[in-house]
Amino acid sequence: MTTVHNFLPEQYRQTNQISINHNYLAQQFADHDVILNKIREVVIRGDFTLGAEVDVLEREYAELNGVRHAIGVGSGTDALFLSLKALGIDKGDEVITTPFTFYATIGAIVTAGATPVFVDAGADYNIDASQIEAKITPRTKAIMPVHWSGKPCDMDTIEAIAERHGLAVVSDACHAIKARYKGRPSGSLGTIACFSFHPLKNLNVWGDGGIITTNSDELADKLRLLRNHGLVGRDECRVFAYNSRLDTVQAVVARHLLGKIDHITESRVSHAAYFDQGLRSIPQITVPAREPDIYQVYHLYQILCENRNALQAYLIERGVDAKAHYPVPMHLQPAAAFLGHKAGDFPVTEKISAHTLSLPVHEFITREQQDFVIQLIRDFYA
Amino acid sequence: MPEQKTIPFVDLARQFRSIETELTQAFLDVGRSGGYIMGDRLESFERKAADFLGVAHALGVADGSDALFLILKALGIGPGDEVITATNSFIASAWVIVAAGAKPVFADVRDDFNIDPDSVRAAVTPRTRAIIPVHLTGRPAPMDEINAIAQSHGLHVIEDAAQAIGARYHGKRVGGLGIAAGFSLHPLKNLGVYGDGGLITTNDDKLAAHLRKLRNHGLRNRDECELWGFNSRLDTLQAAFAEIKLARLDAWNARCRQIASTYREGLKDFVQVPVDQDWEECVYHNFVIRTEQRDALMAHLKDKGVDTRIHYPIPIHLQDAAKDLGYKAGDFPQAERFAKTMISLPIYPELDDEQVSWVVEAVKSYFA
Repeated sequence: MTTVHNFLPEQYRQTNQISINHNYLAQQFADHDVILNKIREVVIRGDFTLGAEVDVLEREYAELNGVRHAIGVGSGTDALFLSLKALGIDKGDEVITTPFTFYATIGAIVTAGATPVFVDAGADYNIDASQIEAKITPRTKAIMPVHWSGKPCDMDTIEAIAERHGLAVVSDACHAIKARYKGRPSGSLGTIACFSFHPLKNLNVWGDGGIITTNSDELADKLRLLRNHGLVGRDECRVFAYNSRLDTVQAVVARHLLGKIDHITESRVSHAAYFDQGLRSIPQITVPAREPDIYQVYHLYQILCENRNALQAYLIERGVDAKAHYPVPMHLQPAAAFLGHKAGDFPVTEKISAHTLSLPVHEFITREQQDFVIQLIRDFYA
Repeated sequence: MPEQKTIPFVDLARQFRSIETELTQAFLDVGRSGGYIMGDRLESFERKAADFLGVAHALGVADGSDALFLILKALGIGPGDEVITATNSFIASAWVIVAAGAKPVFADVRDDFNIDPDSVRAAVTPRTRAIIPVHLTGRPAPMDEINAIAQSHGLHVIEDAAQAIGARYHGKRVGGLGIAAGFSLHPLKNLGVYGDGGLITTNDDKLAAHLRKLRNHGLRNRDECELWGFNSRLDTLQAAFAEIKLARLDAWNARCRQIASTYREGLKDFVQVPVDQDWEECVYHNFVIRTEQRDALMAHLKDKGVDTRIHYPIPIHLQDAAKDLGYKAGDFPQAERFAKTMISLPIYPELDDEQVSWVVEAVKSYFA
């Protein structure tokens, strides 16, 4: 990966060497000394599996979210899957969620044995809470709102519906580390919240990892059993259960980056505001409305644009790693054929999928790079 | 006797120090590449592991349990099906069957701790879909007999090779002796990484292609999802570490066999010791002795500074988790007897000759 220090747009434009990437891990890794030393200590102690660093991270993460429990697991996907299992969700049950999400949301529901029931997204890309109640059946067990791109869903409405119908709310907060909804931290939204520490998440590790937050002592106890073979002590197995643990060495990475989470988050928010300002006036671009009582953390910075595929190709050709997250919504995936959906079923989701474009806003992006991207987009539509 | 020693059951720090320079370089290389999920380093390890094990495909996954679980899912084994496995294994051997939705059916074991083909034969029903022999302690299960039973009933054979990487059966490495095999790369295994990790091997191209999707969200490519799958990947960093260790595995396993041989010769007159048949090469993940005076001997060894374990004190069919399966004490007499009489002695390549003699003398001194 090309470094972006001493960035000179004109020069890069001429030599075609510019590189404005979503992946910033090589830059993050430059600061590895402390982490490497701590990992060495873990290795020498042999404290690999659910070690001390995992315990401390769990306490710190629970505190960050103002909840009683945080439970480290193997990945964000496993966080979702294990949460559904801890709630007893199984064959014959239905879970309401959005088709505008990453595969893992639906994968977790299906592999837990349940059926995903889709509700279209709203203009803010999140599940349209006003349509949820119409989809509730006697088989519905949970609502799984996805706080897409780091913007919390309309939780007042969702939690009220859940309470009325006795449903659990499993927050897919994989994008939403440090986000807030009317002052409430993302990890406190719903019955359980699930986070991913995938390398490109706002708080990441250097492999797969995830964490679950909840205020329920009962669910936390269950989850601790479920993630570690159902073991009580070394030799006693209470329930047959999974192996899904956050590696201790990865907890070292997460703890180190947790110390920088304010800077990471604020950089993203600031870069997003700068893009908003620079792009809003372009007629072919739609910048989503921003809401004052919601703290969106921009795991992804997304806009809707006319002629998306051509703009994306134009940007990539000029070294800007523009991406579509994701061009094919879940209900139209080959894997979803058994649900019997067709194009047109979820018009807002389909429109977003066709027009959405993500621009890099991570902490290492500079204003100069942002200006360059904005100018490129202007040039494209000129 | 010489001055009191302490022989820990495991000593991973010693192995780490012997390869620290290479491991650190791998850490820096992968770190600087910015690619921490899948990628070249994973593929490189997978190719080398496949070559080493003599199979067509090796796939890194999140852990050894997932390896077996994903194989069962890929073979379409689920509700209504039965899968036969050994009751004296680690609980994950049974969990994977339950997790897939099928019913675990247990079999007893023979003197070498491996599944008893007669017990397997008796456990086959019309609902049986697969047998999972466990290469327990690093010793290959009786694969010829198991494969013969499987063939006559049309069953899959999935090797639980979690403890047996590098072991040989009639000259062939375990991992290619059934339809597929699951290995664990847990830190304490003969080839261990620094976190959770696992490996699937198979010679079946179609099964391998299916498993590649199952472990990675069912993705055909970034934007197309063919089936709802799992997220179960071997971290790229861990794959890089595993590749470094794989190059030394034969030497390490040879050292474990040498230690085993010293233990065997020194202890055979006092306790039941594991015996190697001429068709097998056990890699001694554990060296398990048996004695009627187990608890007293364990306490004695502790006094002598020798750390020991029991693998495993409660057979799976007697675990709380198994209570709905309808088993009771007495169902598998061999496994139950072993659970009360066995002790695992420390065994790892870094033990030096002096430590090995110390362990031998410590056991002998109990019987003196």
